[in-house]
Amino acid sequence: MSLDYVKFSGGFEKFMPKEYRDMVEHGPFGKKISVSQMGSFKEILEEHPMCAGCAMTLFIRLAIIAFPNPEDTITVGTAGCGRLAISQAAIPFVYGNYGDQNGVASGLSRGLRLRFGDKPKDVVVIAGDGGTADIGFQQVLHSWFRKERFTTIMLDNEVYGNTGGQESGMTNRGAVLKMAPLGKKFEKMDMLQMAKVAGCAYVATVVPNNPRRVESVIKKAVLIAREVGSTYIQAYTSCNIEYAIPTDKVMEDAKNVENDRYQFTEYVSEEAKQYLAERYGYKEFLPKPAAPAAAIPNKA
Amino acid sequence: MYLVADIDVSICAEKSCKLCTQYCPEANTIQYSEEMGKSKGFKYGSAYVAVDRCKGCAQCVWVCDNMAKNNAIKMIMIDQLPLAAVTDNIRYDEKSTVAVLSNPMIVIGN
Repeated sequence: MSLDYVKFSGGFEKFMPKEYRDMVEHGPFGKKISVSQMGSFKEILEEHPMCAGCAMTLFIRLAIIAFPNPEDTITVGTAGCGRLAISQAAIPFVYGNYGDQNGVASGLSRGLRLRFGDKPKDVVVIAGDGGTADIGFQQVLHSWFRKERFTTIMLDNEVYGNTGGQESGMTNRGAVLKMAPLGKKFEKMDMLQMAKVAGCAYVATVVPNNPRRVESVIKKAVLIAREVGSTYIQAYTSCNIEYAIPTDKVMEDAKNVENDRYQFTEYVSEEAKQYLAERYGYKEFLPKPAAPAAAIPNKA
Repeated sequence: MYLVADIDVSICAEKSCKLCTQYCPEANTIQYSEEMGKSKGFKYGSAYVAVDRCKGCAQCVWVCDNMAKNNAIKMIMIDQLPLAAVTDNIRYDEKSTVAVLSNPMIVIGN
């Protein structure tokens, strides 16, 4: 949980594999890294067993690059495809029982605050749609109502991809899947609205079709979660196996879905806007200059 | 044998859009090298593929053809690649990487 753990133990440098040496010497720890520099530094994510062409992996790759302080971050996950990649990254990963990832993260973020005080230590939950909206639904909503200060990211592939294609709460109405042959009979759950009702300070939908946008959304969510409250990101990460998308058409599908039903939306609470503007200099959230001028006639 | 992505340096080094490095789902697979383009007299550097990490999904081909419209990436059988970069031969520099190209089959066989 600091730059101290990203270095060699004395005398072991020459025995470490190349990937480890590259990580220590050319990794993003302690530096400012952006997606435009991808391909020229050693990434925190390593080789992983996810399917070829998986959009979820691309999103996880971008998300890990976007963490503002990777050396001070812990990821929490649960059963599902995503954990296969997240656990192959050089940042600590806590694997909860199915559905309790937000409960684990609540305790973890509170414990880190007790131990480290004001020094920022980020907790990021990355779980699938099943872990977030179905099996972990109760703990997710309660952590939001308690305003626990950590980020929840849903990797929404709209199916239980890891177990053969059952329908999930986030599957679209009418979708026919291998293990849901009659088609889903209910609407897709509106988690965005629920996050707003539960009091999340930041809610966004994003598609990995736009790496820079993914980066900016993740950065904002993690920074707001440090002090203001819960943040929630819902990312469309198609399952090219269960939805039979050819791997070279995954980005085309992402583009079509983004235009159709997954447009970029962002909700930032007033408190979070003020926090981002004052603490981190986000110009778009600075108060408009017209506001004080309008206030003068009222006083008169 | 299996397919891996192959980037045409002469097209890539003229544009250097770096989109493929951002859209590959595999980490550190499409890398970027200033030297690879500039040593051949081009203005910019070029992207290249670490073939031992490429899973052959061809997402980069779609991105290069349709988003960047450069058509610089093709899928090629790995035993037909004349020269390729593998992870062990890649060195990280300040702002790019340096890859020693070698026959991909010999290196992987070892």
